[in-house]
Amino acid sequence: MWLTWRQHRAQFIAGVVLCGVLVAFLVVTGLGMRSTYDSLGVATCLAATPARDCTMLFSQFQNQYSSLQFLVPLFLLLPVLLGVFWGAPLIAREVEQGTYRLAWTQSVTRRRWTVTKLFMVGSVAVILSAAFSAVLWWWADPLVGGPSVQRFKYGIFDLLGVVPVAYTLFAVALGVAAGVVLRRTTVAMVATLCGFAVARLAVELVLRPNYQHAVTAAYPLSFSSKTGPPDGAWVLAENTVTASGFAVSGDSNGISLSYVPMQHICPYLTPDSAPGSAAMQQCLTQNGIHVVATFQPYDRYWLFQGIESALFIVLAIALALFSVWWVRRRVR
Amino acid sequence: MTAIVATGLGMRYGKRVALRDCSMEIPSGSVTALVGPNGAGKTTLLLLAAGLLAPTAGTITVLDRTPDRDVELISRIGFVAQDVPLYGSFTVAEMLRFGQKMNHHWDQQLAQQRMEKLQIPLNQQVHELSGGQRAQVSLALALGKKPDILLLDEPLASLDPLARREFMRVVMETAADSKITIVLSSHLVADLERVCDHLVVLSSSRTQVVGEIGTLLDGHCVLVGPHCDSREPDIAGVASIVERTDSERQTSLLVRTNGPILDPKWISEPVTLEDLVLAYLARPGATALPAPRAMSQASAS
Repeated sequence: MWLTWRQHRAQFIAGVVLCGVLVAFLVVTGLGMRSTYDSLGVATCLAATPARDCTMLFSQFQNQYSSLQFLVPLFLLLPVLLGVFWGAPLIAREVEQGTYRLAWTQSVTRRRWTVTKLFMVGSVAVILSAAFSAVLWWWADPLVGGPSVQRFKYGIFDLLGVVPVAYTLFAVALGVAAGVVLRRTTVAMVATLCGFAVARLAVELVLRPNYQHAVTAAYPLSFSSKTGPPDGAWVLAENTVTASGFAVSGDSNGISLSYVPMQHICPYLTPDSAPGSAAMQQCLTQNGIHVVATFQPYDRYWLFQGIESALFIVLAIALALFSVWWVRRRVR
Repeated sequence: MTAIVATGLGMRYGKRVALRDCSMEIPSGSVTALVGPNGAGKTTLLLLAAGLLAPTAGTITVLDRTPDRDVELISRIGFVAQDVPLYGSFTVAEMLRFGQKMNHHWDQQLAQQRMEKLQIPLNQQVHELSGGQRAQVSLALALGKKPDILLLDEPLASLDPLARREFMRVVMETAADSKITIVLSSHLVADLERVCDHLVVLSSSRTQVVGEIGTLLDGHCVLVGPHCDSREPDIAGVASIVERTDSERQTSLLVRTNGPILDPKWISEPVTLEDLVLAYLARPGATALPAPRAMSQASAS
């Protein structure tokens, strides 16, 4: 324990300082955000009875802070940064510098040596990422809450809740495993970066939409307000279709209905037929045009967070066990 | 009692053969010089003995156990690897603390005294030390374990002559006041001649010479005689010719003997260890290994 701490304390401290700086920044901007939120009256609007439409007010608030979006890629990268800078060199550097020959000829088994290292770096990574994720949740609350909850969306789901902690653990374990197998720090760092990106994208694009059967529901098409899945749902697909299933628009908003695809069904429409016109309305009712949406409702948010976290934690444990096995087995 | 026994030992890294069919016995309490050109397999042999490698053929036993990943045995082996790996950012004191944390029987006092005696400041960072000091810290780490066997891989390679002498002095002191078995590798014989009592010569992955230095020197001599045309002169008492140098007037032979040389044509002179080793290294086909029977007797006893 002492040895691992002493060897990697510079990296640990650098990581903690980096997170500390980010947290300080988040606290300052987060407080600023909250005061704007209150002064604009978003909160009072949302709490008002009867319910008022706060969309305008909210987008005014969001616009004011849209410049902070530059932080999003940084938050997405944080887990893999730990994997690259803590995980990959953990054992690869010992092999590279030959110090493994010193460490492995003491009276401590290689298994214990590896497990201790993994345990230390893993627990520091978990503590750090959990603390950071908690601050981020608080910080992002006004931005992703509001009139429609956005936490379930691509890119936002990945930043909040428990998944960042699981990603971090996975990235670190991946880094260690890459370092153990490749035995070169820089090569292992690159491999970690690529491996992490591939795993995350595969899970995000292929697996995540299918954790549970998506709900498919039909809604009437409306020109005045957007109709569709309930608030906060993660919408996978949305189409405006005829009763027979012919898609006339890849959208659920009546305003954006264009004349061209509609003319196939209703030849009497002219280019002047505005979305709200009588001719258009007639066409809609005649053909039973409605909206079909496939989505994951918001009440599955924590379930999905849990499934995705469990997936990455299992992968991390598998990689850690693999590293221990490899170090023990490895000759030379 | 033998400290290290290798039988048909072989090691290959992928396709590259580092050691093949290597057999030897290193007696307990001996100080053995492991000599050979670069790439002859010295490091591989020591890594096998230190349990860092597992052989791909044959067996090696150290203190009657197989060293591969046997921590209990490894805790009795002091190993100083080539290029003396240490943690560069550690201070000397932290390096000693590493030894203490990583070993059951650790003599902290002894290690500290050693550093004091050599005037190596404990609060100095390892990467600021000179090559000689690094080697001394490594040696202190290996000796702090109170090992039964000390394996030193090219410990002198990067040291200046003064540091070499200092280093060898510590090794000799250690050899003198404990029953420790020491194996040192080097590509130079001269470094080890005064210290060692046993010799193993490795060349192109094979053992070429194994034996006690005194016996080896007694069993070889240089014969100088008039120029001789026959390629293999038949001389009574000569088992084999290791090296032959011809000049116009005389022929000089370095030979292994199996009896007294009584032929009056030849004048017999003693051979130095360095000449002996160089002669063998120049002729990779020549060997001076103990007879198989003698080996099996030794392992039975």
